[in-house]
Amino acid sequence: MTTVAATAHTTPAHHDDRSFIRKYIFSTDHKIIGIQFLFVSLFFLLIGGLLAMQMRWQLAYPGQPMPGGGILPESMAPGGVILPEYYIQLVTMHGTFMVFFAIMPLLVGVYANFLIPLKIGTHDMAFPRINMWSFWAFFAAGLVMLSSLFVPDGAARAGWTMYAPLSARHDYSGASIGQELWSVSIILVGLSSILGSLNYITTIINNRAPGMTWFRMPLSVWSLFITAILGLLALPVLSGAAIMLLFDQIIGTHFFDPAAGGQALLWQHLFWFFGHPEVYILILPAMGMVSDIVANGSRKPIFGYHSMVFAIIAIAFLGWIVWGHHMFMSGMNPTLGSSFMVSTLVIAVPSAVKVFNWMGTMWRGNIQFHVPMLNAVAFVAMFAIGGLSGIYMAATPVDMFIHDTYFIVAHLHYVLFGGSLFALFGAIVYWYPKMFGRMMSERWGKVHFWLTFVLYNCVFFPMHILGMGGMMRRLYDPSQYTFLQPYQPMNVFISISAFLLFATQVIFFVNFWWSLKKGKPAPQNPWNDNGLEWSLPSPAPHGNWEKVPTVYRGPYEFSSPQAAEDFLPQYTKLPTDREPVRAPVAGH
Amino acid sequence: METAHKRPNYILIWVYLAVLTAAELALAFELPISRNLKLLLLLFLAVWKAALVGLFFMHLKFERWNLRIMAIIPLPLALIFILAGMSEHVW
Amino acid sequence: MTHAAATVDQMLPPYPAERGLDVYNKKLGMWVFLASEVMFFAALIGTYVILRFGATGEWAKPGIVLNIKITAFNTFLLICSSVSMVKAYAAIQDGDPKKMRFWLLMTILGGAAFVGIQVYEYIHLVQHGFVPSGVREGSELAELVAKGTLPAATMGLYGSTFYTMTGFHGFHVTCGVISMAYLYFTKALPGKYTKQDYGGIETVGLYWHFVDLVWIILFTIVYLI
Repeated sequence: MTTVAATAHTTPAHHDDRSFIRKYIFSTDHKIIGIQFLFVSLFFLLIGGLLAMQMRWQLAYPGQPMPGGGILPESMAPGGVILPEYYIQLVTMHGTFMVFFAIMPLLVGVYANFLIPLKIGTHDMAFPRINMWSFWAFFAAGLVMLSSLFVPDGAARAGWTMYAPLSARHDYSGASIGQELWSVSIILVGLSSILGSLNYITTIINNRAPGMTWFRMPLSVWSLFITAILGLLALPVLSGAAIMLLFDQIIGTHFFDPAAGGQALLWQHLFWFFGHPEVYILILPAMGMVSDIVANGSRKPIFGYHSMVFAIIAIAFLGWIVWGHHMFMSGMNPTLGSSFMVSTLVIAVPSAVKVFNWMGTMWRGNIQFHVPMLNAVAFVAMFAIGGLSGIYMAATPVDMFIHDTYFIVAHLHYVLFGGSLFALFGAIVYWYPKMFGRMMSERWGKVHFWLTFVLYNCVFFPMHILGMGGMMRRLYDPSQYTFLQPYQPMNVFISISAFLLFATQVIFFVNFWWSLKKGKPAPQNPWNDNGLEWSLPSPAPHGNWEKVPTVYRGPYEFSSPQAAEDFLPQYTKLPTDREPVRAPVAGH
Repeated sequence: METAHKRPNYILIWVYLAVLTAAELALAFELPISRNLKLLLLLFLAVWKAALVGLFFMHLKFERWNLRIMAIIPLPLALIFILAGMSEHVW
Repeated sequence: MTHAAATVDQMLPPYPAERGLDVYNKKLGMWVFLASEVMFFAALIGTYVILRFGATGEWAKPGIVLNIKITAFNTFLLICSSVSMVKAYAAIQDGDPKKMRFWLLMTILGGAAFVGIQVYEYIHLVQHGFVPSGVREGSELAELVAKGTLPAATMGLYGSTFYTMTGFHGFHVTCGVISMAYLYFTKALPGKYTKQDYGGIETVGLYWHFVDLVWIILFTIVYLI
């Protein structure tokens, strides 16, 4: 058995002397861009949460003045009482901010940018300046969307799915410029995403360090790669749809207006053709990062690495032919609907493979329940629940009853909050040392985790029951229906849990901001992990390495018989390792 | 890198494209054939011209197979979308 | 930059690195970008096909609203500019920067002329009453609609789809012309392209051919069918 030195043999880059503006504001450094995405997205996560809190007030106490509602304009909430016109804006903008400005940028904008060059062993992205533009397009999109909350007649209000012709005609929706600003903002988000994707794809294909073959890449990188391909091909369709919606809104075209020959279902097909790959964009990076964290926390290699990769590819591939399951009740072609039912049921299989592989990874592992591991294990369990509710919805006859009810709301929050957001909490804590050179507080991380986990289930689990009971989505006042009145105490329970859940996030935010300056200084490899990023100091320097490291093995060599310690980094050379050979090509 | 190959005759391809365009115009306005057949033939000619540009001007014919796949992947997706949208009007 | 790769030939993938696709970054990046552009035009063209296929009334016959002669010439012009682009690429591959500059200039002029003719066509159409929302009341085309030469029910869709598809194509052509002009003045004229390093020409060439390819499809399905 060979002893492996814990110190790295890679050469970090030297200190740089750029100006403050070039270093932190208009930076082309992928790590800074990732951090910029992090700060801005966390802000939008907060906004999304605030919008949801107002919704929960109205649902628990319909028609009653909201505390603090006095600051809202009279046209939206006279005397602090939320009007239906305002409620539907809350619903729409909560979804919009959470999907496009919180979860997607947190998973992709932050971690694709931060992790990819570090984990594959290169200095930066293939196109650093395009990367910078990707962030600023996102920032501009966020400003535009935020401004739509403050314009006359208020924000967009046709749900985050923006169905036409409600969204296309001001005389139908009651909004004016707010709708157009939504379309403009989405076009900019699409641009940001496409520019980012082309960077991630090119970098991963071409700039991997010597020895970093495809099947030695960590699953976080695999999932970000496949996600980038999904984003590359799906976002343009959304941009096209948003452009056509904008044209319907301002230059009098008739794409989606049946009164003038357009087709309302066309919007739905366009939106969901983008929308379904989008939801895989919202979960795959989380799955990849969870794989890294679960292997690390279990001190075991990931179970079934190759099947994990093929499952990611299968999910992405199948994800293109399931979009109609969002439209079962739309009046679409029923034969088409049946084909979507079959493909949707099939796509559960690779997801299940992944869940079992995570369980297999943890089985008989030497589990370390550090904060990222707690969050990652919660991901696996909550994602499984979300996936199971998905099976119900996949079956068209069942979906006829539960479509547009709170059952769907429960499902999507189980996968997006229980799934993606818990994965993000784990990832933020896990890579915080490499980003900022400090550790977040372990104790407050655990307090935050347990409170969030319990309260989150109190909020969203009962929604399955509400949905089965027939409570509709986007509903302003459940108490107006006699059949829903027995469920009102459940709505109150959910809302109170939600207020407490929101308050609990203060712990995370304070931990995050306080630790930036006052956290324990981070060692180089605090989690005893194998990835290339842990060969660099914490925080990682500009340019990453002076000379890119060489890779000798896969990323999950935990508890390896070849090492004295229970981890064996990818970049450590053992006496038995050979240098990777770059295959000769004509002209090189 | 591209495989070693003889450079295509770009002028010849240009002549092909001009001839095909003229054929399209003749087909669209001069020939008295059924509407559906006309549609099919015009689409075929357009795709042929596009393929000429893609294979010879963009050099896809001489690139590695994996670059070719990358270039083609969006097409089946686009087709799936269009066919699904069209199927709404045939039931 | 603090790394040692700065002296590597620009046309090769970065070294040291795994082989990847054996295509240098700029070119790979452009192909990846073009894949996204295919999806974008697929959304616009797909919308046109779906709307037209599902329309309850007749669609306007080709050639009545749109000017086939001018557009056929424009199509030919764009194809010629594609040829001049590939000749510029071949020239610098052979190490002849002077010839490359000539053909690149021809491409830029061809592209600019295409846009100019399109703008002229648009102005003409609007004057005759064809706008994105369909046919303007009281215009020449409105009379054709009244006579029955043009179908009233689908003119709105015709206008919407025509202007959106050709407008965005024109926008892409304009971006191409601007990019090529930028490269012409900042790189081609000062002689920065050589036999060993002409990646920028190949990359912008790929974009230009793509724009031509999209027009080949658009010309057929919008003007001829």
